[in-house]
Amino acid sequence: MKEFLQLVVVGVSTGSAYALVGIGMVLIFRTTGIVNFAQGSFAVLGGLFMVALVDDIHGLVAGLAAVLVVAFIGSLVGFVAVGFRHRTTPLASLIITLGIALLITSLNLLAFGDRPHTYPTIFDRAWDIGGVLVQPQYVLVAGVTLLAALLLTLGLQRTIAGQALVACADSRRAAELVGIDVRAVAVVAFAVSAGLSALGWVLLTPVDPVNYDSDVRIAINGFAAAAFGGLASIRLAYVGGLVLGVAQQLVVGYADKIPGLGQQARQYELAAALVIMLVLIGWRARNEVHE
Amino acid sequence: MNLSRSRTLRLAGTLAAGSFAIWLSYQLSPGDRSLYTLMGLYAIVAIGLSLLIGFAGQISLGQGAFYALGAYTAGILTVGLDPDDRLVSEAGIDPALAVVAAPILTGLVAAVIGVPLLRLRGHYLAFATLALHLILLAAIFAQSGFTGGQDPGLAVIEPLEIFGLQITGVTGGTARHTAIVWGLVLVTLLVALNLVGSRAGRALQAIATSERTAAAAGINVSAYKLRLFVLSAGLAGLAGALYAFMLQFLSPDAFGVFLSIQFVVMVAVGGLGSVYGAVVGAVAITWLEHELRELGARPSLLGFDLPDQAPQVFSVGVFAVILIVVILFFPRGLLPALGDGIRRLRPVRHEN
Repeated sequence: MKEFLQLVVVGVSTGSAYALVGIGMVLIFRTTGIVNFAQGSFAVLGGLFMVALVDDIHGLVAGLAAVLVVAFIGSLVGFVAVGFRHRTTPLASLIITLGIALLITSLNLLAFGDRPHTYPTIFDRAWDIGGVLVQPQYVLVAGVTLLAALLLTLGLQRTIAGQALVACADSRRAAELVGIDVRAVAVVAFAVSAGLSALGWVLLTPVDPVNYDSDVRIAINGFAAAAFGGLASIRLAYVGGLVLGVAQQLVVGYADKIPGLGQQARQYELAAALVIMLVLIGWRARNEVHE
Repeated sequence: MNLSRSRTLRLAGTLAAGSFAIWLSYQLSPGDRSLYTLMGLYAIVAIGLSLLIGFAGQISLGQGAFYALGAYTAGILTVGLDPDDRLVSEAGIDPALAVVAAPILTGLVAAVIGVPLLRLRGHYLAFATLALHLILLAAIFAQSGFTGGQDPGLAVIEPLEIFGLQITGVTGGTARHTAIVWGLVLVTLLVALNLVGSRAGRALQAIATSERTAAAAGINVSAYKLRLFVLSAGLAGLAGALYAFMLQFLSPDAFGVFLSIQFVVMVAVGGLGSVYGAVVGAVAITWLEHELRELGARPSLLGFDLPDQAPQVFSVGVFAVILIVVILFFPRGLLPALGDGIRRLRPVRHEN
């Protein structure tokens, strides 16, 4: 039981970070019809900027700066990804964001090298709750994620910009007719989503080191979280992220116990994650057929 | 009459270009030849992918997985299934048989996983195929006893012989190997052209336009999609098998996710669904990658010292920019756009 809880604790925190990436994907997809592959790159950029800044300035300032810079980069990506002269289809936009992700990956390799990066957590010891070891950083990731998701939902309901995003999500054509600039909406949606992704890895990097090419793994897991709600619901994307994170930890944790598989199980961590994701989106696609 | 004449002309042109490509295999120096062989191998993969994306409208970001599967199938069948027996020579099957078996096995795998996979559409399929590639890579790493993993890798030193003719020797691919690769490019091209012009080709075009309309017109959408998926996977498997004997050494490093994306770049540059374009795209992109790596491998460029990662940064970064620019401004492909431009420059000729 203790072991189970331990795995769940770790799973919830990594799952929360995936949830943030997934929520960003949902926000962009609902408002622009684009699935943003570069979402993983935003997360990696957030983690790497944080590592670069945290030595020189206060952690809080460094984190804020990292999130804001990535949000700005995100707005640029949004400007480009929408395409020009209405000739770019949503699938073409996916390929464009894939290209942007590659570009960011290669620049990250140039700037940060090919080693994993991390920074020390500000908490000096882990809490022991009934035998389950809880890193305060895990709680921080999960808490901030929940807060960010709630703030986003509130922002969409209460602000003018949020209402414009929701209008675009309901019907892009109708939104255009009442004078909402779709490109401007895309820029805002990408900026917010990029900031959210970056926030996740700014916080997760002390417990899960980030490398220049972590973006593919993060993008796929974030997509799986978003796909849990059919790319349509922020709430379900949040749940999807948690389910994915916990399921991955449980598979990896308990696969060690199966005799004969033993040591090899760890190496299948990513594969297990991907199979879970495939099952998730396969299940989702089946639901869509029936709807 | 006119139509069949232009078709005959096109066929004659294709055969002439193919013969030239095969003849060229014997004229190049060994150094240039290996790059030329790689161009041919990638062209075979790109033709299959171009059909899949352009005609069936299915975006696969995992074509590199089938290429890797073909390479490892051929390699492992040749050296022997049991890792303990591999030190003994003749543990595996005849390399020529392995080259034939690899695309068949790859096609079979594609047929099995294609059934659930092709139920997914658009974005879902793109991510699922990418996941497939990552899963295969993880399996190659994890089962290192069987596949050789990253270290020591898999050495396929058995020379490839067909009917007593030596195709690859101790030092890798010979001119004959290159000629066979380009001969297969020609065969693939002819098969693809025939497919495009056939009833099946028209059905696939209908599917690309709208799956629902195609289904309403009585086309068995999932069967056609699956067949094309299997064909494109088989072609990638064949190219992979021939690659295994060219390099005589396999390691997962050669089959990264970037490879799958590179295939998409080739198809995007050549024009989605354009069979000739796929060949030109493959040749151009393979050449460009080679040049960029050479450029990145220099100690300094324009007065700047280049870091160790420069070859990778250059090639990945440049491809990323090509992909973005082509999809944004020439969604039909660089080659078709170029053709349009030339046609526009030419004075309008009135036909009677």
